[in-house]
Amino acid sequence: MNDLAFELSGVSKKYRYFTLEDIHLKLPRGQIMGLIGANGAGKSTTIRVLMGLVHQDSGEVRVLGHRMPAEQVAAKWDIGFASEDMRLYDSMTLDWHMRFMRSIYPNWDASYAQLLLQRFGLRAEQKMKGFSHGQRVKAALLLVLARKPQLLVLDEPTTGLDPVARHEVLRELTGVMAEEGRSILFSSHNTQDVEQISDQITFIDRGRIIDSMDKETYLDRWRRLRLEVPLGIELPPLPGIVGVQRRGRLAVATSNAFVPDLAHAYEHTGVRVQSIESMTLEEIFVANVEHNREEVEA
Amino acid sequence: MTSSVIGHLILKDWRLNRLLISLSIGVGLIALVIAQYAGGAARLLGSVWFFVSLCILGSMLPASAILNERKKQTLAFVMSLPVSSVQYTIAKALSTSAMFLVPWLTLLISALVFIEMRHAIPHGIIPMLLILAMLPLIAFCLISAIALVGESEGWLMAASILCNSSYWFVWYLLARIPSLTANWSGPVAVWNPAALIVLAAEVGSIASIVGVTFFFQSRKRNFI
Amino acid sequence: MYFQIMEQIKQRIMVGDWAEGQPIPSIRQLAVDLQVSVITVKRAYYELEREGVIVTQHGKGSHVASIPGLGARLREQELEQHLEQAARIAAQLGMPPKRLVERLREAGDRVAEKDKELI
Repeated sequence: MNDLAFELSGVSKKYRYFTLEDIHLKLPRGQIMGLIGANGAGKSTTIRVLMGLVHQDSGEVRVLGHRMPAEQVAAKWDIGFASEDMRLYDSMTLDWHMRFMRSIYPNWDASYAQLLLQRFGLRAEQKMKGFSHGQRVKAALLLVLARKPQLLVLDEPTTGLDPVARHEVLRELTGVMAEEGRSILFSSHNTQDVEQISDQITFIDRGRIIDSMDKETYLDRWRRLRLEVPLGIELPPLPGIVGVQRRGRLAVATSNAFVPDLAHAYEHTGVRVQSIESMTLEEIFVANVEHNREEVEA
Repeated sequence: MTSSVIGHLILKDWRLNRLLISLSIGVGLIALVIAQYAGGAARLLGSVWFFVSLCILGSMLPASAILNERKKQTLAFVMSLPVSSVQYTIAKALSTSAMFLVPWLTLLISALVFIEMRHAIPHGIIPMLLILAMLPLIAFCLISAIALVGESEGWLMAASILCNSSYWFVWYLLARIPSLTANWSGPVAVWNPAALIVLAAEVGSIASIVGVTFFFQSRKRNFI
Repeated sequence: MYFQIMEQIKQRIMVGDWAEGQPIPSIRQLAVDLQVSVITVKRAYYELEREGVIVTQHGKGSHVASIPGLGARLREQELEQHLEQAARIAAQLGMPPKRLVERLREAGDRVAEKDKELI
């Protein structure tokens, strides 16, 4: 049995105004990957290629060992998919949808479904058209969670949710991890959620993957150095520094490959290092995208 | 396992569209009753109304069942289920066909039964009746195919308009075939070669529409 | 982020929730309980093991290190960190060490007063 939840190798997809280029991405089973990118960066397209909803122009896609899109039917038995632009049937109730799923999927867990109704605060006998945005998102998640699929593929599962609903959803997503071997891929531009529950983080921008690695290692590499530059001293360019902001004698240097020697290197030139701070994923996201766009344009 | 998914999709479509189906059966039956029990002009009106309700059914059902799935964005939900694009097309084709065929057959059989039981209308008309009744079926197939492959309301409207405005022309052409009209006021249904050839052509055109549809659907690379 | 988890675990040991030698939840279980990624808890456990605070046995799970007085020792470490930070700030202010000791004594008196008011 394959030990990867999914693997994309050299995947490309060209649209009229957007191109997904040379995507290499993989996730070991039993882990959660958070896919971060600005709007239009290619998160949804990558997910659609993964699900076999869209055929890639080149490259190979394997999900739970199945080649996509050729073996998409076999794969989809074990994948739970929910996306932000997906809608359920307006004129039908949530209960109808639950019975519909139950009739198709043999491993539908009815008691878990009932528990989720309670936890999410949803009324099964209500028609979908009466649901608010947040309730709709939770309803769609309920329908995939209660199936207990091997892989959950979620396109923006917390977007537009109030803090309570977000908390409810994150609780269930981390709860999935209680069973070894189950995996989640979710996309978001909410860096807080990604930072909290992801094992692996992938940054995507303008159709390309910028970074993809395990979260803690990644967070360890990024540091903000607050510097005091005495008059007459030039700030030296150092390897691993991706950006510097000056405000008079103060400077803030951002590093994406921090080692303690870096601070020493500054001090050798007479620059005083006031503090070394770790960065939140949001700060890293912005710094990373800016740096990457500069590099591409250079 | 897969055939049951297709089955569930068909049942789902029936459940979603049951209002439309009952309405069209109801309207058609009323038209038929009027055509049989009223005299002269009312009978003519009833016959026309009978035919028109079939045509409208033929255009509205594909729009409702097929295009709505895309418009209302429920297609992603369906395609997240264990089905391929070809299987989805099969399910849609079967469910919309069944939705059309039930009222269509109901109306056709009721018409034949009425002709048999009420001797006001000569049996000679039966072959022509069959040929005419096939026309909305062909139109339905064509419009459904274009809805599935074309994916847009623009295409659907063009197809509907084209079909609905062609009926008169086709009737005119058929009425000009002497061997078809020769016996329609006679007491016996006459199945001459002309009638059989026309019927075969109608069935053939339906088969080719279906074939071409599946060809295009299986080659789509951006299903959503 | 793993750092916060480490602090939370040390706190539980310090207040006595988790005693010396007591088994602690598996990495996966704690991740679910705290609603954080497994990898964060994994890293936290790894670092805690390096510091000798917990012990992980392959196949048997993890438990608090069986060091008598571990809770007290962790408290000592916390105090050391705070003292060093105070010393650093005092140095930045140019405060002589004697004055720093005085300030510490004054702070101790203030805390004792406040505690009396609470009782």
